[in-house]
Amino acid sequence: MPIIETRDLRKVFRSVKRSPGALGALRTLFTREHVDRVAVEGVTMSLDAGELVGYIGPNGAGKSTTIKMMTGILTPTSGEIRVAGIVPHEDRRRNARNIGVVFGQRSQLYWDLPLVESFELLRAIYNVPRERYRANLAEFTEILEMGDFMSTPVRQLSLGQRMRGDFAAAMMHDPRIVYLDEPTIGLDVLAKEAIRTFVARINAERGTTFILTTHDLADVERLCRRIVLIDTGRIIYDGTVEAIKEQYGTHRTLVVELCDDEPGFAIEGAEIESRVGTVARLRFDRKEVKADQLIRRVTERYCVNDVSIEEPELESIIRQIYVEGYTDPNVTVAPQALLPS
Amino acid sequence: MTFDETIEPYREFARKAFAREATYRFEIFTNLGSLVLRVYLLRQLWNALYRQNAAPAGIPLHAMITYATVALLMSLILEIDGTRAIREKVREGTIATDLMKPIVLPLYFFSDGIGQTVFHALLIAPGLALALLFVHVDVPSPAAFLAFALSFAAGYAVNFFLNFLMNVVAFWTLETFAIQLMVRWASDLLGGQILPLAFFPGILGKIVENLPFAAIYSTPLRIYIGDLPPSAWPAAIAAQLGWLALFGVVSTFVWRAAERRVVAQGG
Repeated sequence: MPIIETRDLRKVFRSVKRSPGALGALRTLFTREHVDRVAVEGVTMSLDAGELVGYIGPNGAGKSTTIKMMTGILTPTSGEIRVAGIVPHEDRRRNARNIGVVFGQRSQLYWDLPLVESFELLRAIYNVPRERYRANLAEFTEILEMGDFMSTPVRQLSLGQRMRGDFAAAMMHDPRIVYLDEPTIGLDVLAKEAIRTFVARINAERGTTFILTTHDLADVERLCRRIVLIDTGRIIYDGTVEAIKEQYGTHRTLVVELCDDEPGFAIEGAEIESRVGTVARLRFDRKEVKADQLIRRVTERYCVNDVSIEEPELESIIRQIYVEGYTDPNVTVAPQALLPS
Repeated sequence: MTFDETIEPYREFARKAFAREATYRFEIFTNLGSLVLRVYLLRQLWNALYRQNAAPAGIPLHAMITYATVALLMSLILEIDGTRAIREKVREGTIATDLMKPIVLPLYFFSDGIGQTVFHALLIAPGLALALLFVHVDVPSPAAFLAFALSFAAGYAVNFFLNFLMNVVAFWTLETFAIQLMVRWASDLLGGQILPLAFFPGILGKIVENLPFAAIYSTPLRIYIGDLPPSAWPAAIAAQLGWLALFGVVSTFVWRAAERRVVAQGG
């Protein structure tokens, strides 16, 4: 049975129409003209317990709106939503006991207090039994290496330390579902890695369900098997990371390091992406030409020091989809079809 | 859920607020210093004012100085506003994170205020001891002191709801500075913190005495200085409780509307 289910979820924001200028501002006070903005348009998805799903889309696509409806702080305009059997906006406080949240841009820690006191407060808020709390605290302190700054006031923590604190804070009451909203934004590589390791480990060991919204697709590649792509409020892809790479990212890059500076260097079946000194980058479509064929063509004609092939990163594929739209119809997968039954 | 589990978060909120207040040590000492100075100045002021008239508004000088001193000490507690956090939370958008927690938010603000109150109440003892070096304050009978304590508690609750309503306006306007100033002024002047309401002339005095602000300072203070006879205590405290009930009901509705607003607009 799925732990999160939405059907035709829709959210329309209504705001008062504002006229420009000083006179317009005055008019705004008295008119009742409204502008409707559709943030989420018919989102249907289903997540099983223990899944770790990347929820991806450009700014303003409707990711945060969806997450807010799942946490119960936003009421859908229409459609159905159930999180662990609860309709979140109808029973927000009961829903809150099942979920944890991490926002990269805002902290839930108490600014003036030492980090550990925020954890104690959360223990009280969720009525976590003391033994359980002590065990969690010990485990999180070890994995996230928080020992050194446990009694430092939160306002004196670095961003990396604070985010580790926020992750531990979100997990202290053993939530079944955790929403991560841009959790690695602004972090250095070490802090990012620490957090990714933490998420992967909690997911594997405790079967916690994670929904990750991020613009850092390296997070997604490292953590998620499944991604849901949303654009202008609609789901445009729901499937595995491999599938979208397999079917959409058919371009590869062949990097060739030549022995000499060959001014007229060109190979049929590939276009030159860039040339810096003796290093040429050739872009080709693996549906049209095989890599070994292409390498043979190069080595037959030129003296070559080194060759390598670069796979497309998820990021470049997603960027392409943002720009060109999701076009390949045979890749569109019905949301339910992918779920393990 | 057991009762203990239900109140566990709120007890912890109060404890944390207490700890937070205690971290600002410098402020504590400057506050104590300024308290002594203010008590002394009040004495001088009322002494000078009474030189012209032995008992204006029927209050003798010693009772007046007692009134002013106790009002000042009360204000140390009543000026604490646990609901101020609403304003900051709404403006910074962190209210959304709070709504994702399994707590009743108004109770959170109330407990936070209680924690701060307890801390500042503990400071009043040394403050009072210091102040007594400079002024003589009347000590009421045990019965009057008990009635005063009850009345003060009721006034504290009315004050909480007043602050709460004032800060909840931020859900609609984001900014509450103007309202803040107005309400602060009204509760200090019309509530009887600055001077007894008996000083308001004629019909104005009658009106002011029947406003909710009187429930905050005036009623407990009049009990303390003996301006209200024991026979009038039950009615005076009942009036306070009446305001309390009204404010409580209004606050509940306003809070629901505020929550609905967040839930419809997304913070």
